[in-house]
Amino acid sequence: MTARLRALLAQGLALLAASPLAAQTPREIIDRVDQLLRGQSSRGTITMEVVTEHWSRRMEMRIWSLGTEYALIRITAPAKDAGTATLKAGSEIWNYLPHVDRTIKLPSSLMGASWMGSHFTNDDLVKESRMIDDYDIAMGYDGPRDGVPVWEFVLTPKPEAAVVWGKIEEQIRKADLMPVWARFYDDQGKLARTMTSSDYRVMGGRLVPTRTLIRPADKPNEHTAIVYRELEFNVALDRSFFSLRRLQSTPGR
Amino acid sequence: MNARLWWHLAWRNLGRNRRRSMITAAGLAVGYFSVVAMVGWFNGLIGDMITNGTAILTGQLQVHAARYLPDRTVYETMGGADPAVVTRLLNRVTQDPAVSAAAPRVYGGGLVSSGGATAAGVFLGVDPEREPRVSRLLQSLVRGVAPVPGARQILLGSEMARILGVEPGAEVVVVAPAVDGSMGNDLFTVSGVFRSGLADLDRSFALLPIDALRNLMAMAPGQVHEIAVALPDPWQAPNAASRLAQTLAGVDGPVALQPWTELRPELVEYAQLSSTFQWILLVIVFGMAIFGVANTMLMATYERRHEFALLLALGTSPRGIVGSVLYEAMALGAIGLAVGVAVTLPVLVWWHNAPPDLTPLFGDFTMIGVLVRLTLRVEYPWGTMVQAAVALFTTAAFAALYPAWRAARVAPADTLAGR
Repeated sequence: MTARLRALLAQGLALLAASPLAAQTPREIIDRVDQLLRGQSSRGTITMEVVTEHWSRRMEMRIWSLGTEYALIRITAPAKDAGTATLKAGSEIWNYLPHVDRTIKLPSSLMGASWMGSHFTNDDLVKESRMIDDYDIAMGYDGPRDGVPVWEFVLTPKPEAAVVWGKIEEQIRKADLMPVWARFYDDQGKLARTMTSSDYRVMGGRLVPTRTLIRPADKPNEHTAIVYRELEFNVALDRSFFSLRRLQSTPGR
Repeated sequence: MNARLWWHLAWRNLGRNRRRSMITAAGLAVGYFSVVAMVGWFNGLIGDMITNGTAILTGQLQVHAARYLPDRTVYETMGGADPAVVTRLLNRVTQDPAVSAAAPRVYGGGLVSSGGATAAGVFLGVDPEREPRVSRLLQSLVRGVAPVPGARQILLGSEMARILGVEPGAEVVVVAPAVDGSMGNDLFTVSGVFRSGLADLDRSFALLPIDALRNLMAMAPGQVHEIAVALPDPWQAPNAASRLAQTLAGVDGPVALQPWTELRPELVEYAQLSSTFQWILLVIVFGMAIFGVANTMLMATYERRHEFALLLALGTSPRGIVGSVLYEAMALGAIGLAVGVAVTLPVLVWWHNAPPDLTPLFGDFTMIGVLVRLTLRVEYPWGTMVQAAVALFTTAAFAALYPAWRAARVAPADTLAGR
């Protein structure tokens, strides 16, 4: 999952996706999808809508990413949260809180906790490794669904992999390697959450799913939706951009 | 001969070998003391465990919104925008005859951060004036002072303070998810550091003034998650809970009451263990005493077999002999009991009122999540004192049955002839 979320939050990649090649192994296909949605670097604007049983919120954010290691996310609206920022550097997460003008480092015990009240966890942001490193991938289905040729993969964690999920199922469109949905199961094999991709559009020169919805299985009335407003790939960013000083600075390009 | 005379004989016989009689009586007295003191001490220990297990944090009774437990979600509150509702609830609770105090609480969870160190914790919003009458956390300060109502102050557990490297006066960032979905965050001053002795609390608990925590979590000024209630007699809690369920109905939305016996069922089980233990102890101690008394009586009757032979030869009934030996054993029991009570009572009074502290020898320890300070404090085991007295007499009489039967069956002619 993690690579997927990273891709969504910090999208990037070279649109080498051109032609889905024949005779690829499931592992090669997933790897390709991973790379498709992730660039060397990216910059964009997203809207995150969180709906829970008790409240709904809509946040605007600017995001920057570099490879798999670095990401910076800054909330620009609503006013109450504007300026709040998250920096991911390797396996660490830092949060900047403008109200108190302080930066705090997230303890590892909170990696499983919700990120900004959404249905994503901090761990979703941090998890570095790509799916092909952590999971054994098998082809579950190869053929048309509703007239669209798709693959469905079943990902089971490698014995030594430190991952949250017991199993992931993922559907990919054959024609353009676009992800359609992914289902995440817990250790007991119970469905924990479903992620749905939609609104495929060309942004920053490549086709991406611009809307992603995550819905927890135990609370079907709740969801978090992420929608890309702007997205550029392979922008000029280097590591020095992802600093604690930048985390605290005023929003800017 | 009448019974009185046999009594008299029995009593005098005890004086024939005073040392032996006294040793046996002392054995019975020690047995009595052991049972009574052990049971009293065990009851004291369980009483302390219940007190410590409930008084450090839980209280003996808790009131929540009906759906607050078991998930403890921050949204399930009592009261609301109007603080008067909670005041009314608190008043109704404290009017119950078994209740001594009640305190409102708000719970949250989040981060405390200082410099590069961050700790995840449970935030407990308390009324600094009411809370000390219900729980001991605010009195367990090792440094600094309790937070002041209305101030942005925070009291940290000792281990959390150590992890953060802060002392009273330091400024920390407190972050908590608010009930509106935003990320509540503010600067707080560390007012003090507490140490409860319970590792979990000292590592992960922080106390804030209730209004400051509500503010941080964007809660309404009259909302609470919990009303913790203190009862001087913890065993009154289940009854008080059912009474309060009536009293509190209709004041606010539906509430649920949990006595400590529901919140900490393992403590109840432990208390039940005590009564089983008491019977086992009684059986073991007096089971051993039976053989001591039997041995003494066998020796005494063997030495006096000529006397019994003569009595039988003179026409005394074997029943009389049996009676004499039994009376003697019971007289022994009476002496043992008198000595036992004479020793036990003052010691119980001493250990109840000024229990010797064993912590220098053994230190504190935590048992089923409860801090136990080992002292010799006893609770008066009145029931056991009576049971042990009955057991002591029964033991003495039972132990004398076989010697008495032997004595009554002495063959007069052979015995008197020295055969």
